Amino acid sequence: MSQRKITFIQAVREAFQEEMRRDERVFVLGQDVQAGIFGTTSGLVREFGQERVINTPICESATVGAALGAAMTGMRPVVQIMFGDFNYMAMEITANQAGQWHYISDGALRAPMVIETPSGARGGAGYGHSQSLEAAFILPPGLKVAVPSTPYDAKGLLKSAIRDDNPVLFFEHRRLLTQRGPVPEEEYLIPLGQADVKREGRDVTLVAVSATVQKALRAAEELSRRGVEVEVIDPRTLVPLDKETIFRSLQKTYRLVVVEEGRRRGGFGAELSATAMDEWFDYLDAPVQRLGAISAPLPYSPVLEAACIPSEEDIVHAVLRVLGEEE
Amino acid sequence: MPLENGKLKELYRKMVTVRTLEQRVEQLVTAARIPCSGHFGTGQEAVGVGVSGPLRTDDYLFGTHRGFAEYIGKGMTPAEILTEYYGKATSLSRGRLGQHLLKVDIGVMPLPSSLGSEFGMAVGAALSSKLRGSGQVAVNLFGEGTAGQADFGPALEMASLWSLPLIFACNNNQYVELAHYRNVVATEDIAPRAAGYGVAYEIVDGNDITRVYEATERAVERARNGGGPMLLEFKTYRRGSHYTGDPGGYQPAEEIAAWAKKDPIDRCRERMLADGVWSEAEEQALRQAVQDEIDAAVQFAEESPYPDPATVYEHIYAQGGMSA
Ligand SMILES: Cc1ncc(C[n+]2csc(CCOP(=O)(O)OP(=O)(O)O)c2C)c(N)n1
Ligand SMILES: [Mg+2]
Repeated sequence: MSQRKITFIQAVREAFQEEMRRDERVFVLGQDVQAGIFGTTSGLVREFGQERVINTPICESATVGAALGAAMTGMRPVVQIMFGDFNYMAMEITANQAGQWHYISDGALRAPMVIETPSGARGGAGYGHSQSLEAAFILPPGLKVAVPSTPYDAKGLLKSAIRDDNPVLFFEHRRLLTQRGPVPEEEYLIPLGQADVKREGRDVTLVAVSATVQKALRAAEELSRRGVEVEVIDPRTLVPLDKETIFRSLQKTYRLVVVEEGRRRGGFGAELSATAMDEWFDYLDAPVQRLGAISAPLPYSPVLEAACIPSEEDIVHAVLRVLGEEE
Repeated sequence: MPLENGKLKELYRKMVTVRTLEQRVEQLVTAARIPCSGHFGTGQEAVGVGVSGPLRTDDYLFGTHRGFAEYIGKGMTPAEILTEYYGKATSLSRGRLGQHLLKVDIGVMPLPSSLGSEFGMAVGAALSSKLRGSGQVAVNLFGEGTAGQADFGPALEMASLWSLPLIFACNNNQYVELAHYRNVVATEDIAPRAAGYGVAYEIVDGNDITRVYEATERAVERARNGGGPMLLEFKTYRRGSHYTGDPGGYQPAEEIAAWAKKDPIDRCRERMLADGVWSEAEEQALRQAVQDEIDAAVQFAEESPYPDPATVYEHIYAQGGMSA
C-alpha cells in the first residue's frame, strides 16, 4: 500500500474527478471554477468540458438557486462559493429553500447538491474574507454541514456529500488547503455523521472543528508532557452530528471542551454544550468549556485577527480549567 | 400556430374555473374555514391560463402567489388546490405546503414564499433540461414588483449566456401589494430590461387569452428548438384586493371599472359567441359543471381529516432516518 501524501486541494480535486467520472449528472458551477481560484476545481474543464464545469456571473444567490433548480430536476450540482463569508449572499436560497423543499413537498422533491466553500481566517484577508460560518447552517432545517480537517477526510467526505440526496455545505479552511496528508490511491468514502478520534486520551474529551483540530492536537501534546491525556475528536460533520462517539469518550473522561474558529456566541460549542447538559449531565464532572471567536468582526491585522480566535494556548487553559487545575 | 377552437374552449373553461374557485376560496378564507389569507387575481386569469396553455406536461412552470390561473392551467384540480389550502391530510403534500402549490409530476415547480427566489431555480431547471437533452422548457411567471428582486438580472444573464430554454413571463397587473406599481417600479415596462442582457422580449395584451397563448407558444417553440430565452410581459390588471381583507381604497373606482370592460373571460366568451363556436346552452352547461366540480372539491376538503401530528418528523432529510 502506498503511503502517498497529497495536499488538501489535490484531495478535493480527486474527489471531483472520481465523482464526475462515476456519475454524469455531477457538474460544477461557480465563479472562476474553470481556472479554479484556489485550485480545487483546476483542470476539471479539460477532462469534463465547459458544459460540466461552468463559470458563473457574480451572483451567489442566483447561482445557488440555479444549483437548486438543477438538483430538483435530476442533476447533482456542486456549487462553489469562493469565500465562506459570501454564503450570506445566498443564505435565502440555501436556508429558506434548499433545505426545506424536500420536507414541505412531503418528499416529492430532493435537492442533491453541495456548496463547496473555502473559508476561515488565514491572516490578513480582512473582516469579510475570513469568517468561519459553519454554525450558521446548523440552524436551518434540512442541511448537512461538513468541516473536514485533513486531506483524507476532505476527499472521503466530499465524495459522500456529492452522493448524498440532501444539500451539503462543505467548508474548506483556507489554512488547510495547501497542507499535505496521507490519502490512499484506492477509492474510499467517509460517511457524513461519523466523527474521528484524532488522538486518544483518558482525561478530557476535546471536540475540535475544522482547522482548530490541529491546534487541539498540538495543545494535547503540550498537555501530555504535563501528564494530562486529552482525547481529540473531530466531528467531521456538524450536521449530522455523531453524538455517540462524543458520548463514548465522555463516559471515560467526564470532562468536555469544545473549540471552533466560528463565533462562540450561538456557535457549535453552544449547541454541543447544551446537548451535553440535556443528554449527558450525569457524565459531566465540570462545566463544559467552550472556545470560539469573540463576537466582533475579524480585524485585518494578523495580530488582531489572532487575538479574536482561539489559540493553542487558549485550548491548553480550557483543558486545565475543565480539570479544575486553573480558574 | 393560431389557436384552435377546441383549445380555446379548454382555456375558457379553465379561466371560468379559476375565477369561480378563487371567489369560493376567498369566501372560505373570510369564513375562517381556510387558515391562510389568499391572494387572488380577478381580472388577470388569461395570463396564467394562457401561459401554461402551450406547455407540455413535463415542461417546468414556476408560478406566482396570486390566484390559481397557472396552476389550473398546468393541470392541477380544484380538489388538489383546496386540500392544500385547508391543510388536510388528503392534499398532495399532506398538509405541508398550503398556498405554495406544487405538483412535480406535471411540472408545477416550487413557489417560494420569498418572491423572486425562483429566478435562480428556474435557471437551474432550464440548465438541467439542456444538460440532459430532455427538450423541456421552463417558464418563470412573476409579478412586475418581483422584477425588483436581486436575482432577476442575473437570471436573465445566465439564461442568455447559456442560451437556456427559459421563458420569463411577467404578469404586470399594475399593483404591488397596496401601491400602484409606478410607486415602486421605475419604468412603465419591465420587458425592455431583457435587452440589456441580450434577451428578446415582447409586450402582450394580457387580457386577451388568444394573444397570451400564441405569444407564449412562439416563445416556447423557439426555446425548445435551441433559440434561447425570452421575456414576455403581459399587461393586465388586478381588480381585487392584494390579500383577502386588505383595507382597500387605493385603486380608483374608474380604473377598476375601465378594466372590468376588458375582462378576459367576457372578451373570450363574446368572441366565441360572435364566431359561432359557442352557445348560451354551452355556457350554462359549463357554469354548472364548474360549480359542481368546485362544490364537490370543497366538500371533499371539508370532510378530509387533518394530518396526524406524528408525521412532522417525516422527510426532514431525503433517504429517511437521521435525527436532526
Ligand atoms: C421576498 C419577499 N418580499 C416581500 C414579500 C411580500 N409580498 C407578497 S406579495 C407582494 C407583492 C408582489 O407584487 P408583484 O410582484 O407585482 O405580484 P402581484 O402580487 O401583483 O401578483 C409582496 C411584496 C414576499 N412574499 N417575499
Ligand atoms: Mg403586481
